[in-house]
Amino acid sequence: MDLTPRPESQAPKRRRWMPIIILSLVGVGGVVIVTQFLSSAIDYYCNVDEVGVRSGCDTTNRLRVQGTVEQGSLAKLNNTTNFTLVFNGKSLDVKYSGDPGGVFQECVSVVAHGRLVNGKLESNRIEVKHSNEYEAKNKDRLEESGSAACSQVQG
Amino acid sequence: MLSQSAPKFSSTGTQATRIVGVLTIVVMTWVVISGLVFTPADVVQGESVRIMYVHVPSAWIAYLAFIVTAITSAFYIFAKRHSLGFDRVAGASAEVGVMFMVITLVTGSLWGRLTWGEFWQWDPRLTTTAFLLVTYIGYLAVRRLDGSIEQRARRSAVIALLAVLEIPLVHFSVVFWRSLHQRATILDPNGDVKMDGLMLFTLFSGVVGFTLVFVWLILHRQRTMLLSDLANQSGLDAAILARQNENVSN
Repeated sequence: MDLTPRPESQAPKRRRWMPIIILSLVGVGGVVIVTQFLSSAIDYYCNVDEVGVRSGCDTTNRLRVQGTVEQGSLAKLNNTTNFTLVFNGKSLDVKYSGDPGGVFQECVSVVAHGRLVNGKLESNRIEVKHSNEYEAKNKDRLEESGSAACSQVQG
Repeated sequence: MLSQSAPKFSSTGTQATRIVGVLTIVVMTWVVISGLVFTPADVVQGESVRIMYVHVPSAWIAYLAFIVTAITSAFYIFAKRHSLGFDRVAGASAEVGVMFMVITLVTGSLWGRLTWGEFWQWDPRLTTTAFLLVTYIGYLAVRRLDGSIEQRARRSAVIALLAVLEIPLVHFSVVFWRSLHQRATILDPNGDVKMDGLMLFTLFSGVVGFTLVFVWLILHRQRTMLLSDLANQSGLDAAILARQNENVSN
């Protein structure tokens, strides 16, 4: 058997543009699926102004509600933490069983998990959704940290 | 094909890797000292913000590693000369990328526990990141399937070119969907970086330091892969020679 390599001109030319086209189509298809179809299914929370309005934010279901803890609304009483979440001009009262702890404070964004009972969210889980802003904590202005958080959230 | 000649190095270190190694030690020492001592605590997150100096650079370097894997895989597939050197760099980069991705997830979990109050939530950013990690673990598994070195290179190159498409999905998951994870600070589409100056400098130092670690690791790893391939190839050559000798004697 002759195993001598064929001359260059006789060798069939490979169409290397096919993988590029397939990869491009996969990329375009992926972007369309992600941006057009998956958004409603994957969103982690409902904003306060969407409760009972947006699909998936039905008041009969267990909800994850995102909003900012309103300044002056935080009150802790008998192992219960009460506060008001605000977002886009709407507000929602929240009753949390326990002390959220950690970096929870007024003016930070949080996601509260719970059910609506008589228009109030009875929550058993609070997650602090910290912002993408980082500001030095000045030792001389420790008392200002709360208001600094408010200024961060409110922009 | 692999070169049949013996490798020209007795270890995986060279003058270049030693220089990179020394630079890595210097930069990383600065990052540790600055991150733990010099940089201030954050006004909201307090001391926990220091995890950022490991978490963010490791995530970026994981992305970089997977992009390098894709680029070198593309060179392997589309270049006229299918150099296995590209394949080895791709494999080495993916291994280092997986390591950095694990560091990202571990440090992110710790940071999440301190700020969100949870180690893990199946929110869009965390879920897509976990998916990215699993994909590249799969890529590394494919590289260990039976077959010739060329088959390994072809299979894994195709996977690398597809897997890299997940990176924009991970990065923009916090833009496409509502996520518990915060949006990007440095790579914010608005270009408005809201970070204390020394925090920002330390973060960039971390990126430089982790990049040096990445370069140092893949330089060594792709050389160990070359030695391993040469060892496998010489074993195959010896087996063929033995079989040929059997035929001659018969």
